[in-house]
Amino acid sequence: MKIKKYERSLLKGNQYSVKVYETTVEDENKFISFFDNNYILFKDRLIVINGELSDRIKDYLISKSLIFVNNIELPRNKNRQELELEEERIRLEEEREQEFIKAELNRLSNKLHNNLKVLDSMVRSGQELKIDGDLLLLNRVNSGATINITGNLIITQVVEGAIRCDGNFMMLSNSPKANIIFHGVQVDNDLLEEKLNRIELKDNKILITPVLKKEINWAS
Amino acid sequence: MGIVIAVISGKGGVGKTTATANLGLGIAMNGEKVVVVDFDIGQRNLDMILGLENRVVYDMVQVMDGEVNIKQALIKSKVNPDLSFLAASQTKDKTVLDSNKIKELLDNLKKDFDYVILDAPAGIEGGYEHTIEFADAAIIVVNPEVSSIRDADRAIGILDSKSQKVKDGEEVVKYLIINRIVAEMVQKGEMLNSEDILEILNIKLLGKIPEDRGVIDASNQGKPVILKDKSIAGEAYKRIAMRICGKNVKMEDIERVDVSFMNKFKGIFK
Repeated sequence: MKIKKYERSLLKGNQYSVKVYETTVEDENKFISFFDNNYILFKDRLIVINGELSDRIKDYLISKSLIFVNNIELPRNKNRQELELEEERIRLEEEREQEFIKAELNRLSNKLHNNLKVLDSMVRSGQELKIDGDLLLLNRVNSGATINITGNLIITQVVEGAIRCDGNFMMLSNSPKANIIFHGVQVDNDLLEEKLNRIELKDNKILITPVLKKEINWAS
Repeated sequence: MGIVIAVISGKGGVGKTTATANLGLGIAMNGEKVVVVDFDIGQRNLDMILGLENRVVYDMVQVMDGEVNIKQALIKSKVNPDLSFLAASQTKDKTVLDSNKIKELLDNLKKDFDYVILDAPAGIEGGYEHTIEFADAAIIVVNPEVSSIRDADRAIGILDSKSQKVKDGEEVVKYLIINRIVAEMVQKGEMLNSEDILEILNIKLLGKIPEDRGVIDASNQGKPVILKDKSIAGEAYKRIAMRICGKNVKMEDIERVDVSFMNKFKGIFK
């Protein structure tokens, strides 16, 4: 009766097709006598009983070592071909999911540590830096300059230009003239009070924490 | 072999042409051979400030197109024989400029002169890019106000990316002139002070020029202010010219001197 053995990426299993006899119990005595007479016909079948199932019938079926289930919805109108098609569909869906997870992981790891850039040049007016990854900038961002960044951003000097950051965090010094947009939200410059501030996204809220009160000498 | 210095600003009206005229004359007064070239094709005015307006016969575009010899087009200043001038064309526009022709012209000028000073047009378009393309050094002229600083910053950015020297892996030397400083306003904090400007632009300071009413009159008369006696702007230009010629001249602190002078006066009359 075994028709196909197959493997999937995660689960191993065997597939069988089984003959089923579906019925209801209307008269218990009639039922028992019917099964006694036709035992040969039913002994290899799965018995499905819809409706109520008394203890007497249960004991009888067990004593005859017949396999039975009570009140289940049988999968109908699905022939072998259709079943295979469905298996294929599920398999494809899983594959797609795996690929998506892989891509997402890649993207995240890029964001986190693969693309760290260190720059020590001034970003002058009219210049636009587009950066996919993280940036450590050791110089000024002048008025009229723009930094567009997908990852994290640390700038050690004053910012007077525009910053568009979609990373997990930014570290900025007190920059009253800057135009800072973090995840689409404009950051209030007055909140950047200290020498160095950490701006991060936590539970959909933008959190600004002063890190350093005094100026530090990055060069030495 | 001379060096090519482009005088640039980004923003118009900060005193670029005045600075070019005065520095040209100032360098000539130091005994060096100088040519000033008006690169503001289509809007020439350096000839007026130098007082050579009525002596212009041929212009730079005609030289580049090979219509006339470069010697025919160069005008020698009567004030100082070491200063020559090459006029911009007023009939053509900036689209006539071509990199190869400019390089050829500048190479020719470098053979005969110690300093080739180019007066750049305002803005950052094609005309400006051609002016800085073959420059060895640049003098950036700014006024102590934010819009001038930002435009200068942009101009420096373009200089650092588009000039031939940078493309060859070298560096264009950049010097800053802060023009039209009013000491009183700086002291009151109404005008940017030079330290702030230098921090933003991050280039070497060549000199500071105080606001001087005499400059406009001098330009109108075609006699650059550097020729005037007792002109504070003229004196500042003289110092800058000497610095360009390699002399060690102390940086005057014109942002403070004025005020203490005023205070002394006030003290006397108290």
